[in-house]
Amino acid sequence: MAVVAAFLVPGSPLPLLKPDNIPWGRIAAGYQRAGRAMAAARPDVILLYSTQWIAVLDELWQTRAHLSGVHVDENWYEYGDLPFDIHIDTELAHACVAATRRIGVHSKGVNFDHFPIDTGTIVAARFLNPDNSIPFVLAANNLYHDADATEKLGRLAAQVAEEQGRRVAVVGVGGLSGSIIREEIDIRSDRIASHEDERWNRRMLDLIERADVAGLRKEAPEFARGARADMGFKHFSWILGALNGKFYGARTHAYGPVYGSGAAVVEFTI
Amino acid sequence: MPNGQILAGYLAPHPPHLVYGENPAQNEPKSEGGWEQLRWAYERARKSLDELKPDVLLVHSPHWMTQLGHHFLGVRNLRGKSVDPIFPNLFRYSFELTVDVELAEACCEEARSGGLVTKMMRNPNFRVDYGTITTLHMIRPQWDIPVVGISANNSPYYLNTKEGLHEMDVLGKATRRAIEKTGRRAVLLASNTLSHWHFHEEPAIPEDMSKEHPQTYEGYKWDMRMIDLMRKGQTKEVFRLLPQFIEEAFAEVKSGAFTWMHAAMNYPEIEAELHGYGTVIGTGNAVMEWNLVKAGIVADRKSAAHA
Repeated sequence: MAVVAAFLVPGSPLPLLKPDNIPWGRIAAGYQRAGRAMAAARPDVILLYSTQWIAVLDELWQTRAHLSGVHVDENWYEYGDLPFDIHIDTELAHACVAATRRIGVHSKGVNFDHFPIDTGTIVAARFLNPDNSIPFVLAANNLYHDADATEKLGRLAAQVAEEQGRRVAVVGVGGLSGSIIREEIDIRSDRIASHEDERWNRRMLDLIERADVAGLRKEAPEFARGARADMGFKHFSWILGALNGKFYGARTHAYGPVYGSGAAVVEFTI
Repeated sequence: MPNGQILAGYLAPHPPHLVYGENPAQNEPKSEGGWEQLRWAYERARKSLDELKPDVLLVHSPHWMTQLGHHFLGVRNLRGKSVDPIFPNLFRYSFELTVDVELAEACCEEARSGGLVTKMMRNPNFRVDYGTITTLHMIRPQWDIPVVGISANNSPYYLNTKEGLHEMDVLGKATRRAIEKTGRRAVLLASNTLSHWHFHEEPAIPEDMSKEHPQTYEGYKWDMRMIDLMRKGQTKEVFRLLPQFIEEAFAEVKSGAFTWMHAAMNYPEIEAELHGYGTVIGTGNAVMEWNLVKAGIVADRKSAAHA
C-alpha cells in the first residue's frame, strides 16, 4: 500500500505564530502530536494539497527542488514571519504533472525562484515535518475544480506514487467552518463564530471519526454552503481520493477556533 | 490649515501581462510584445499623470485581500521580488517603493473613525501584492512618487455586494478626509478589471494576440455599456447598474476599488477619458481617467501658484 498516513490540518498561521494564546496553543499541540505520528509512519514523501495555493488556469505542481525563504501572511503579519525550508520530490512531482492527462486535467510544473509559497503549506510543513527530513509533492487548489475533480487528483497522485514505489503520507490543508469574527477580539477568548458553525464542525468530525464516507459525501456540499467551509472542503476530497475512498476511522488531535473559523487536526486510520 | 486635494482618479487594471509585454528591466521574463492597445493606453495615462504632478498615489488592490478589516501599508520602504502566483512565467518583478506612512496612518484613522475595522501593516518583510505593483508600474514606471497601498477587505464576497460596497464607500470618504487633512495632492488608482470571465488555458505563446479576444460576448457588451456611461459622465447610472454588472459579467469591480475611488471623489458626474480598452486572457480591461482639475471641480493650488 502506498499511503501509510493521512492528515487533515488547518492552514491558519495563528497556532504556529502564537501558540502561547491558549485556544491556538491547543491546536498547535494537536499539530505536534500529528507530527509525531507522521514521523512514526516513516513516509518517503508527503503529498500535500493546500486550499491557500490558488490556481485558475491549469493544475499546478511545485517542481523546484528546494524552496526556502521568509513568508509573511497577508492577514496576520503582526504576529511575525514564517520562515520555510521545503524539499520537493521532483521526480514524483513531474510524474504527477504528466499523469493528470489520464483524468483529463492539464497540469503545469512551477519552478521559479521567489515563487510565493502559501501560508497553509508552510504551516503544515513546519508542524508535520519539523526536522525537514521528508520531501513533499505540493499541489495547488484550482478554483474551477470541484470536489469530484479534486478527489480524482488525490487518487491519481497516490497511484503515481505507488507506481514509483513510494510510501506516502497524504495531507489536506484547510479549515472547517470558514466564518471569521469580523471585529477585533480578545484572542484569549477566541470562539467559533456561530453555534450553527460549531454544530456543523462537530457533525463533520463525527462522520470522519466514524469513517462514514457515504455520509461525508452526502453532507459535505451542505456543510460547504451552511458553514462556509473552507474552499468547499476540497482538502478532504484530496485525502479521500488518495485513500481511494476508504478509511477505518480517525482521531481528532485538536479542534477549536482560529479567529472564529473552525480548525481541526485529524489523523486518519487507514 | 492643510487643504489637500484629489486631483484625479484612474481605473488602472493590473494584468501582469502588460508588464511582461513592455519588457522593463525589473521584470525577468522577456516577451515579443503583446496587449499593445492597453499598454499604449497606459502611456497616455502616464503623460496625463505627469502633468498633474501629484504628491502621492493611492492604490486599492484586490490581490491584497484581507479578512479582518481594511489594511494599509505602513512601512516607509518596501522592496523585494514579486512573483505572480498565477502567471509566474510572465511576472517576476524586482520592486522598491516608498510609502507615504503619514497619509496611510491618516486614512487608517479616518476609516476607523467612520466605523470600519482597520489595521496598519508594519512588518518590513511583507510581500506587496502583484496587483499593487503592476498598477503602479504601469501608471508610473519611474517609481518616484510615494504611495499608499490599501487592501481589499473581502466584505463584498463574504457579506454581499451591497454591504461590501457600502464599506468601500465609507473607506473612500475616509480617504478623502485624510487627504484633505494632510494637505496632499493625491491621485487615486482603482486596480480593477471590468468583465472578468477568462480563459482556462494559456496560449503556448502568451503574447500571441491572434489568440486574444473577449471570453464572452455578454461580458464585452457589458464593458461597452459601462464605458459608454462613464465617457458620458453618467456616474449615477453607472452605480445604479454596478450590482447587475458585477453579477452578469463577473466584474472585478466587486472587490471595491472602483467604488472606493468614486466615493473619495464624491461620485463626480464628469466625462471620463478612455485611454484604451483591451482584453487579457479574455477579461475586459479599460484604462480610464476622471480628471477633477480639468473638469474644474478642484483648483490645482500648485499649478495656480506656478502661473
